Order: sequence, then structure tokens, then C-alpha cells
Amino acid sequence: MAVEALRLIRGGEEEGRKVLEEARAKITAIQADTDEEIKRLKEQAREDEKRLAAEIAARYTAAGKKEEDAILQAARAEVEKLKTATKSNLDRAVELILARLLGVR
Amino acid sequence: MGAHEMVDRIRAEAKEEGERILTEARVEAQERLAEVQRELNTQRKQFVEAEERKGAEEKDRIVRAARQQARRLKWAAEEELINTAFDNALDRLKTVKRSGFKGKSYADILAGLIKESAVSIAGGGGAGGAGAGAAMEVLLSEEDVKANYVDQPRLAKVAKELSAEAGVDGKLSLSNHRLKSAGGVLVRRTDGKIEVNNTFEQRMTRFSTSLREEIVKTLFAKTAS
Repeated sequence: MAVEALRLIRGGEEEGRKVLEEARAKITAIQADTDEEIKRLKEQAREDEKRLAAEIAARYTAAGKKEEDAILQAARAEVEKLKTATKSNLDRAVELILARLLGVR
Repeated sequence: MGAHEMVDRIRAEAKEEGERILTEARVEAQERLAEVQRELNTQRKQFVEAEERKGAEEKDRIVRAARQQARRLKWAAEEELINTAFDNALDRLKTVKRSGFKGKSYADILAGLIKESAVSIAGGGGAGGAGAGAAMEVLLSEEDVKANYVDQPRLAKVAKELSAEAGVDGKLSLSNHRLKSAGGVLVRRTDGKIEVNNTFEQRMTRFSTSLREEIVKTLFAKTAS
């Protein structure tokens, strides 16, 4: 009777150990999955950073180029305006140079 | 407590313990993931801020370079216009030799330059100057000599005028040497100690800085920005 009881208890203890071993195995798997997920998240973050860096750089470069075009276009227009406007002053400037060159007041 | 009951209890306790440590592991995993996610979010935010700063700096650099290029474009255009004025003036010299300038003949203009040179040689102070009373010779270009703009009688007249107007006494003679010049004169003491170069090329060089300022004012009078 006592032997049977001990056998039953040992069997129970063995089952309990198995239950705990299974739980620990699941925990190990959970930890491995978590590590894997963290690795994936970090890798994805690195990829996101590369993409974001390219997007941000492209956005600012495009904005800079747009402003550059506007500045240069305005400058070219100003140059043309300057050339047109100075045409009427050119003769006076030539007279000025000649007066100084020839010593004629 | 019977053996069966003990076994049930052992099983229940093992199951309970298993579930407890599993739940704990799941919670811990969630916390780790949440922590990593928080770190990554912070890192991403900082990264984006840094990249935005870099981007803004790059944009500023592009804009600064464009403004600089715009200034260069305007400067180059102004230079071109100034040079056009100088080139036109040099081209006009041929006309000046034929038709004069502001009512003065080219011969009168040369006479004026000779006087200016002689006064300089005389030290600008007339009779008391370093070159006062000295004999001076006048050098002209081959072209101007051939055209006979200045001859000896003319030089004698200039010398008289110099004496009367500026108190500079001295004899002026036409040199046999010729200038390689577009026009103007070079006057020097016959002893070679002092000379004043009033060729157009030299005058252009001498006056270029102050002349440029005046030309800029004249050319861009209404358009200066």
C-alpha cells in the first residue's frame, strides 16, 4: 500500500517536473522570439533611417534647388534690365572717359 | 491526505508554477519589446531631427551659393558694361583725332596735355619748381607726327602760353623719338631727368580707379540697387 502510494507520488512529481520543464522550454522560446523580434525591429529601424535620410535630404535639396532657380532667374532678369537701362547712360560714360583721357573739362 | 490527493496537489502546484513563470516571461518579453520600441522611437526622433538640420544646412548652402552666383552674374554684367564703355571710348579716339572733342581739335587737346606735363615737370609751382626753366622735348606717336597735329611753331606758342598762364618758362621742342601709343604725349626734360607720360594708355592706367568709380556712377545712375 505504502509502496503504491510512493509510486503514485513519484509519478506525480515526475509529471510536475515535466510541466515545469515544458514551461521553461516555452519561456526559452518566448525569449528567443523576443530577441528575434528586437533584432528585426532594430534592423527595420536602420532601414527606416536610411530611407528617411534619403527622403529628408531629397526634400531639402529640391527646396534649395527651387530657390536657387528662382534666385538665378531673378539675377538674369536683373542683368538684362541693367543692360537695357544702362544703354542710355553708355554715351555719357564714354564722354566722361574721353574727357578725363583727353584732359578736356 | 491520501496519495491521490497528494499527486493532484503536486500536479496543480506544478501547473500553477508553470503558468506563473510563463506569464512572468511573457510580461517580461512584452516589457523588453516595449522598452526597445521606446528606445527606437527616441532614436528615430533624434535621427530625424539631425537629418532635418543637415538638410536645412544643405539647403542654406545651395541658396548661399546661388546668391553668390547671382552676385557674380551681376558683377560680370557690370564689368562687361564698364569695359564696353572703355572700349567705346578707345574706338572714339579715332573720331576725336579727325573731329575733335567738345569743340576742341585734337591739336588743341595735345597742346593741353603738353601744358599739363610741362607744369608737372616744373614741379607744379611755376618758376620755383624743380624743372623750371628747363628745356623739354615732346614725344608723339608716328601717326600724330605724320598728321602734323603738333609742329615747332605750335610748341613755341604752347611755351608762351605756359609762361603766361602758369609761370612755367622753358623751351619746348619736338623729339625725334616716337611713341608706340594710340595718342597723347610724353614730355621730358632734355637731360632726361624728369618725364611725364601723358599717353592715353598711361592716363587710362593712372585714372582707371577713380574713373571706374565715376563710370559706375554714370552708367548705373538710375539702375543702381
